[in-house]
Amino acid sequence: MEETMFIDPQRCIGCRSCVAACRECGTHKGYSMIYVDYLDRAETTATMPTVCMHCTEPTCALVCPADAIKMSEEGIVMSALKPRCLDCRNCVNACPFGVPKYNTEMHLQMKCDMCYDRSSEGLKPMCASVCPTGAIAFGKYEQIVPLRRTKPVNVHVFGNQHVETKVYLMLPTDADAVEVDGCGVFEGMLQRPAEERQTPTVESWIDTQVEHSDKSNEF
Amino acid sequence: MHTIKTRDKFTSVVYGLAASAGLTLLVIVGSRNLEHYDAALFGYTVASVVAFGAIVYRYALWLSRPATRVYWRRGWQLFRDRRRLAENTKSAAQTITHNLVEQRFIRRRGFTRWLMHALIMWGCLLSAAVTFPLVFGWIHFKLEGERGYRTYLFGFPLNALDGRSIAAWVMFHALDFTAVMVLAGCAIAIRRRLRDRGAIALQQYMLDFVPHLLLISVSVTGLMLTVSSLWLGGYMYSFISLTHQALVIMTLFYLPFGKLFHVVQRPASVGVELYQRRAREMPQAACARCGVEFVSEMWLGDLKQVVAELGFDYTMPDGRQLQDYCPRCKRVMRGLSYASLPDRTAEVFRGSRAERNVERNVDFGLRNAD
Repeated sequence: MEETMFIDPQRCIGCRSCVAACRECGTHKGYSMIYVDYLDRAETTATMPTVCMHCTEPTCALVCPADAIKMSEEGIVMSALKPRCLDCRNCVNACPFGVPKYNTEMHLQMKCDMCYDRSSEGLKPMCASVCPTGAIAFGKYEQIVPLRRTKPVNVHVFGNQHVETKVYLMLPTDADAVEVDGCGVFEGMLQRPAEERQTPTVESWIDTQVEHSDKSNEF
Repeated sequence: MHTIKTRDKFTSVVYGLAASAGLTLLVIVGSRNLEHYDAALFGYTVASVVAFGAIVYRYALWLSRPATRVYWRRGWQLFRDRRRLAENTKSAAQTITHNLVEQRFIRRRGFTRWLMHALIMWGCLLSAAVTFPLVFGWIHFKLEGERGYRTYLFGFPLNALDGRSIAAWVMFHALDFTAVMVLAGCAIAIRRRLRDRGAIALQQYMLDFVPHLLLISVSVTGLMLTVSSLWLGGYMYSFISLTHQALVIMTLFYLPFGKLFHVVQRPASVGVELYQRRAREMPQAACARCGVEFVSEMWLGDLKQVVAELGFDYTMPDGRQLQDYCPRCKRVMRGLSYASLPDRTAEVFRGSRAERNVERNVDFGLRNAD
């Protein structure tokens, strides 16, 4: 599969069409595997869509004690194999992107698999097929990138860890990677003193009012 | 990244060989120095001994994975806690009943799925419970009087049975019943695999179809043995018997390396559940950003140890690990990093491929985009 996904959070309007459409996918019927999170509702209406980035060396697969998470030949990191998954939830808490979901009652881990039933046949994943703004796009690199004025980057730096992914994030700047350094503020980071910038801030009250399942990834 | 160490491979081979040797010894002892051993079943015995060694080898290799090793050690450590041994035993027994015997978690995924799995699982387990003791010479029967059948276990006499009774008929035909159970279960499974769009996309021939085909062929040839002896006067009996044996041996050899390995692997969920139950009672780790308690400190500590052992370094500038944040905060933090990109030193991205290509007179239909 030459196609991959291109995520442009600047275009996301928080409509959650993708969240609804995701439930229609044949490989995780009835359960949505995509997230649309508010960044800081006290400051902005900006939202962040998160799908599985399909790491080239997936932490979730390596921390799985049951060796249940496999990669397809195309580099898609699949949901845990049902007969093997022990419902330990290591993957849920090890994933740097906060993607895998689990259900204890059913002993089931599931995650975004780029709608493998569709994408393996050349169809767009459900989220990309319904996104009205192109915040989530699916296609070949040479098809999508020339249509955009944003820079495709597939490297994230989480502290000391470089993570390369199959999925691209479209950046407004010329940066070569997205550096996630734990700074928990929305804007004006550079105006703050360095020590304050490094200190993760507590969320605003309104952001704490999300469902607990949003924080634990239980579906 | 994690690769299997030569030492672990060597240790696993030693365990595998020891297991095969141990089973061979049990066959000899259990059949009273092969006195009650049926030489016609020699092929089955050799295959069972080899497959058992291979299963133990694979299991030992599986336990050498960093994550599995941590769970294994911690699970047993928690279980052996003297002050809670009785409580832990009760909890493990409950998990075994709910998860392994009743399989409630599959029932919650769907009734048909549960029925399919129950038919296949109990069909296979009951068949194994009948077959292996017979193959290893641990059980044999002797005629007593005209119709009496006495069972001997490890050479010790058990109850006698009227050979013409209903109980005896059920016992003698146990493998026919289990074969029908397996066939029914496989039929449900294959029907789903041929119709379900998700299953069609994900299934692989070797992983998902071969085990069903093996189980079906073993069951069908097994039933054919009954048909041949009961109604066809033993027609082609030895050929069917050989075919059945070959198929059973293939299935036994598939056991350690294919989908059926989950039969051996899955009971580990008893340990995982115990781990989680105990973890819930322990001090909980709060997310470093939003403060929500999302996992236990013990669990998080073990996870961080595994992540580091695998060669990852998720140490953040403030000294915390990325795993100290709840899944949602990880997503939000990434979003905030993205949103603050223009504040950082990187230049605004101006050299889009579109512009460059327009300059090179490559028309993407965007000439008037600005």
